[in-house]
Amino acid sequence: MNVKEYISSGIIESYVLGLASEAESQEFEQNCVQYPEIAQARTAFEIALEEKMLEDAVAVPLPLKQKIDEKIKSSTFETATEYLEDERTPVRQIGAWRWIAAASLILLVVSLYWTISTTKKYRDLQAQNKELQEKIQQSTAQVSDMQDDMEKLKHPMKTAALKSEDDRAYAIVYWDTVSASRNVYLMINNLPQAPTDKQYQLWALLNNEPIDLGMIEVKQKRLLYQMKNVQNAQAFAITLEPKGGSEKPTTAPIALSNL
Amino acid sequence: MAAKLTYEEHELVSSLRQKNEEAFSYLYEHYSGALYGVIKQIVIDTELGNDVLQETFVNIWRRIDSYDETKGRLFTWMLNIARNAAIDKTRSKGFQQSQKQVPLDGDVIQPSVRPGVDDYGLKRLILKLKDEQRLLIDLSYFQGYTHQQIATALHIPLGTVKTRIRSALTQLRALMQ
Repeated sequence: MNVKEYISSGIIESYVLGLASEAESQEFEQNCVQYPEIAQARTAFEIALEEKMLEDAVAVPLPLKQKIDEKIKSSTFETATEYLEDERTPVRQIGAWRWIAAASLILLVVSLYWTISTTKKYRDLQAQNKELQEKIQQSTAQVSDMQDDMEKLKHPMKTAALKSEDDRAYAIVYWDTVSASRNVYLMINNLPQAPTDKQYQLWALLNNEPIDLGMIEVKQKRLLYQMKNVQNAQAFAITLEPKGGSEKPTTAPIALSNL
Repeated sequence: MAAKLTYEEHELVSSLRQKNEEAFSYLYEHYSGALYGVIKQIVIDTELGNDVLQETFVNIWRRIDSYDETKGRLFTWMLNIARNAAIDKTRSKGFQQSQKQVPLDGDVIQPSVRPGVDDYGLKRLILKLKDEQRLLIDLSYFQGYTHQQIATALHIPLGTVKTRIRSALTQLRALMQ
């Protein structure tokens, strides 16, 4: 390379004044390292330029320095972000924001998912809880019904067993003859399923006259069914009657007892 | 003289890197006028020029660590910060509205000499150049257009723009001495 020619080509002035392209600048910097003459020529022009510009200095309004000092003192905290702007690396800045945006979006999705799933779990638990409470209420009611029935059985009561001839129907009447109420209870051990249009009816018999003691409505888990009261009776009978019952038995009793 | 300047500059740079405010004040007293002169020749408007000078010195303070003495003198580095800040300002929206600046194209070429603004500093030297050279220096140095933009606007090959600008710069340098 012809160093002298290179020095006088205008590249030095172009580089120093910031008019050289990126490639030209890189090449020039390398040449300065390789050829000290070029670096010296550069410094010579820089000094000449500096002296020329110092000669042509323009008076600066006084308050400016104070403003700059204020900015510098307050800038310690904002340096990081403004530095990025100064360095003209918006790509990096956008990159950072993109990461932050992506991270917050992921966080949002995760927390939404968590909220939804937690809410669902909470609702499920609430429903289960309600169900359990209802079951407990039912069971408590059943237990208390049973206890009531047991209490009733502790009274001294007359009993009468009602049996069909084939033993398929079997029930026991408990008749409280001690208290004035003369309550009648029926304990069903077994009763064949009645046809849908028919119902079992309990009767008391006094001097061969049937007295209606009510319809037998078979409910599950019930020990004693309270029937109508009766003051006097010699026997009890169960007949199969049309639904709703009859005033007098229309069929022969399927089960009959004597006291 | 040159050796002494270099030594002082070396000291100044290391003090600035240590965030020494006295060194910064010295730097400001010594160079603000010179940089303000260049800035005003680019921005013209006093208010905007003040803004640019502020930005320039704040940037010098903050970015002193990125200054590389192997690539040039401190003043050269500061001059380029000032020039870039001033050109950036002329490209900002506010400036374009106030100056009604028109984008560079073949039909509209900014007047390269403005009375009052151009009678000192580099601009006064440029006046001594040929019209065409003056235009090229004005467009590239003071208005910040790239060689490619100038080539397109003036319908001159890129290589020609480059050689003409370089030849104008060497003449400018000769005029400086």
